[in-house]
Amino acid sequence: MRLQELVNVLALEELTPHIPGRAPGGGQAGGADDRQDDPDITRGYASDLLSDVLANAPTGGVLVTLQVHLNVIAVAGHAGLQAVIFSSGRRPEADVIAKAAEEGLILFSSPADTFELTGRLYQLGIRGSGA
Amino acid sequence: MSARTDTTDRPLRSYRADLHIHTALSPCASERMTPPAIVAAATKAQLDIIAISDHNSAGNVAAVQQAAKAAGNNLTVLPGMEITSVEEAHVLGLFPDVAAATDAAEELRALLPPADPDYYAHFGEQPLLESSGHTLGMETVALSAAASLDLSETVELIHSRGGLAIAAHIDRKAFGVLSQLGFFPADAGFDAVEVSRNVPAGSPRREQYAAHGLPVISSSDSHYPEEVGLAATELRLAGPGFVELSLALAGAQGRCLAHA
Repeated sequence: MRLQELVNVLALEELTPHIPGRAPGGGQAGGADDRQDDPDITRGYASDLLSDVLANAPTGGVLVTLQVHLNVIAVAGHAGLQAVIFSSGRRPEADVIAKAAEEGLILFSSPADTFELTGRLYQLGIRGSGA
Repeated sequence: MSARTDTTDRPLRSYRADLHIHTALSPCASERMTPPAIVAAATKAQLDIIAISDHNSAGNVAAVQQAAKAAGNNLTVLPGMEITSVEEAHVLGLFPDVAAATDAAEELRALLPPADPDYYAHFGEQPLLESSGHTLGMETVALSAAASLDLSETVELIHSRGGLAIAAHIDRKAFGVLSQLGFFPADAGFDAVEVSRNVPAGSPRREQYAAHGLPVISSSDSHYPEEVGLAATELRLAGPGFVELSLALAGAQGRCLAHA
């Protein structure tokens, strides 16, 4: 599913500035594919333990987490995730958002809790790591 | 000086200690955190005692001790390490000497994953330094990772090498025992709790953390030279050393925390 569709259906608040032509995941430079701007998301992961995210989150996926610490950005970047949704209305500090923008990682906040968000993502066809 | 012979009959006086300082070895710390820079910053901040506590490593402790000695001032540098438990709670370990800290660090190192080339780009460099600040090499395990030890096992690892185990920055919203567990694990065997610079002496929040029945220390958790000494603990000791610090945390032989 295209990211923008997820954003619309789940009414996610985008925290990072929306940059047209942004490279997907991990900050790698890509071609002039329209997917750069609106990446396809098929996998997701929900965890608040960063070591678990690092080891098990599916590349190219979306992460749902309560953690808003700066290390989330490093971990998500290293795991090759495309987007992070902070649940229960949590919002990171400005320096965390700036770092994510630098890394090409898209951040969202939602008032819904982690259970609610992952359930709705699953309904939309997003699946887990497949393990 | 030798940590094991640091008790004296000298009169008690006040010592200012910042027991949580990172070097450039910690991936999240500034590359400017070299041994000479840390010693200079500690001296400027009028500290008597500092502890070097990198994430999951004691690799730069000896270099900072040598830098302090070379600077010829009275700064005491205690060996430490900030261990990440499997619950991703940070535990500050302070050790009697470099050998004990190194021994604990080696046991921990075997439990950490290797750092792949991509790791450094996302988390930061991990330089092992000599006392001049010159880089000797790069630590090749992921110091940002959590080892497989739970909180009790982490405290046990520290105690097994004669160290003191302190629940780090328990007021913070991430990486403290309270943020990770939601409660204070009274049975884990901690010797003290640490609050960050966001909890000043005399604040009501400090009382709340003292309610766990353990001494409360304040540290800067410095990642940049400018942060060294921004929070510190006043101790009544007969001398600046590990044994004296242990006595103060236990409230024994007249040694104590000077306030709070």
